[in-house]
Amino acid sequence: MNDTQQSISGSEAVTNASLDGEAPEKGPVFKQPKERFLGLRGSVDRTQSMALGLLGVVAFFVAWEVAHILTPENQQKFLPSVGQVVGKITYLFAEKGYVADVAKSVYRIYVSFFFACLFAVPLGLFMGSFVKLRALINPTVGGLRYLPAASFVPLLLVYFGPTDFAKLALLFLGCVFFLTALILDNVEAVPKELVESAQTMGAGRWHIVFKVTFRSAAPQILDSMRNMIAVSWTYLVIAEIVAATDGIGAVMMRGARFLHVDIIMGGILTIGVLGVLTDISFRIAGHFLFPYMRVRR
Amino acid sequence: MAILADNTETLQQTANEQGAVPGEPPLRADRVTKEYLNGARVALDNISIDIKENQITALIGPSGCGKTTLLRLMAGLEYPTYGNVMVYGEPVLGPGPERGMVFQAYTSFPWLTVRENVQHGMEIQGVSKDEQRDKADHFLKLVHLDEFANAYPAELSGGMKQRVAIARTLAQGPQLLLLDEPFGALDAQVTWEMEEMAVDIIERESKTVVLVTHDIQEAIYLADRILFFTRQPGKIKADMPMEFKKGRRFAKKEDLLVEPGYVEMEKRLYTMMREEIQGRIG
Ligand SMILES: Nc1ncnc2c1ncn2[C@@H]1O[C@H](COP(=O)(O)OP(=O)(O)OP(=O)(O)O)[C@@H](O)[C@H]1O
Ligand SMILES: [Mg+2]
Repeated sequence: MNDTQQSISGSEAVTNASLDGEAPEKGPVFKQPKERFLGLRGSVDRTQSMALGLLGVVAFFVAWEVAHILTPENQQKFLPSVGQVVGKITYLFAEKGYVADVAKSVYRIYVSFFFACLFAVPLGLFMGSFVKLRALINPTVGGLRYLPAASFVPLLLVYFGPTDFAKLALLFLGCVFFLTALILDNVEAVPKELVESAQTMGAGRWHIVFKVTFRSAAPQILDSMRNMIAVSWTYLVIAEIVAATDGIGAVMMRGARFLHVDIIMGGILTIGVLGVLTDISFRIAGHFLFPYMRVRR
Repeated sequence: MAILADNTETLQQTANEQGAVPGEPPLRADRVTKEYLNGARVALDNISIDIKENQITALIGPSGCGKTTLLRLMAGLEYPTYGNVMVYGEPVLGPGPERGMVFQAYTSFPWLTVRENVQHGMEIQGVSKDEQRDKADHFLKLVHLDEFANAYPAELSGGMKQRVAIARTLAQGPQLLLLDEPFGALDAQVTWEMEEMAVDIIERESKTVVLVTHDIQEAIYLADRILFFTRQPGKIKADMPMEFKKGRRFAKKEDLLVEPGYVEMEKRLYTMMREEIQGRIG
């Protein structure tokens, strides 16, 4: 085979030699047709995408500010300006120990979500790997998804009182069943050929479950987690309304009692920012955990 | 003309080295029928064949005739409805590392580098790290991928991915190689290169191979024996040893074309294929 390769490159050399001398000039720079903003399969590079994203955020705040200005003077306290809300947040941090509330909320989200993953990942993985287990469990878990998490609030109050545990439990219940269902989907989407080729290599059941199925589904599982923790953030206020003493939700409820719309909106903004940061941290984790996903041809 | 080896005399020797039961073929299908959909579809209809040691046996036939099904039964990925598939006399009850399989679809693990993919089978078998590395080096060189050892499969072309699959399967040290249209997804020129590489590898590693293909020239070039299947339900229409090759394998595909008997064989296979296809239409 080496012979063949050599003779091929040899004949190439001959062709080049016969062409040498004045190499022809490059053609003119190709003028690409102008790309439409809404072009199908258009391209967007990193800086462009950052710029567009930032533009969207700025547009949002401008719209808010404009809405505030257009509101009649005597109603403006129901729609404070961006500056007022940001000012209020700064005030809360500086004077009211808001850091502790934010920390408490973050702690509740992450701890409850950690336990939800501890439950959902193995369950989804095993159900997706063993059909009989799936037949046994999935109808129940699938059905539990339809129970509105908020309806657990009275129950949890009766069981656990206004404790931290009740709040963690609500956040847990709010996402655990959906997370299980998503992870089950991720596991079932693993190409059958990967499992079969591992079998023909002599892999045992547990090797296949953990080292093939799980490894193969892992990037999608992380994606499911990223999407579900976003849902968890949306449950935060409901969880912290329950006999609110601390946390972002509690601060907002106290604000509501005195019609302090700026505090409520400050809370909403804080949750939004924390949510975005969570999302970004999951993406960064994915970037480092799954380097092979960066290679795209 | 490059003739790699006359492989007839090495046959028994290897069989004994592997501790095989004398007289038992490496693979045997004994009156195998495979039904799907509760018998509404018969994929394989009462097939009996012996695969011979150190031979390349090609399964060829019209699309949907049950070639993949038979290979999967041999691999132990599915069970027959009637009959038995046996490896050295033992009934096949599941997949095992002694029967390496290369699938038509790309099955490299995307989260592992090329080298890690090749080592994976050995890792499962608990081979020492040093040996894993040495063997991976050997097989990566064999498929000309040593420079890509640390790349991820996503960085490779289709032909390279399939070479990873071949290296990976060889590295697990199988006695039998089951290849399901391994070059089916590749373009003509790459296929041709891969076929020549396959001859080279099989000569060096001396394996018993079952190759599913739909490509008549590929079957003649690679196989020592061709089993031709009828259209569904699959039966064996013809069992053809490639006698005109006189036990030789050819390093270059073009050398085969001028062998006396080649053209006749090719014509015969095309005629048979046409009969099967027209049978379906008429
Ligand atoms: N899981 C299944 N359920 C139902 N029918 C099946 C199943 N697997 C295969 N078949 C049928 O069995 C027959 C043989 O299929 P098989 O995949 O073995 O064909 P093949 O010879 O490999 O075809 P090709 O050359 O197109 O790959 C086909 O008619 C197919 O529809
Ligand atoms: Mg097939």
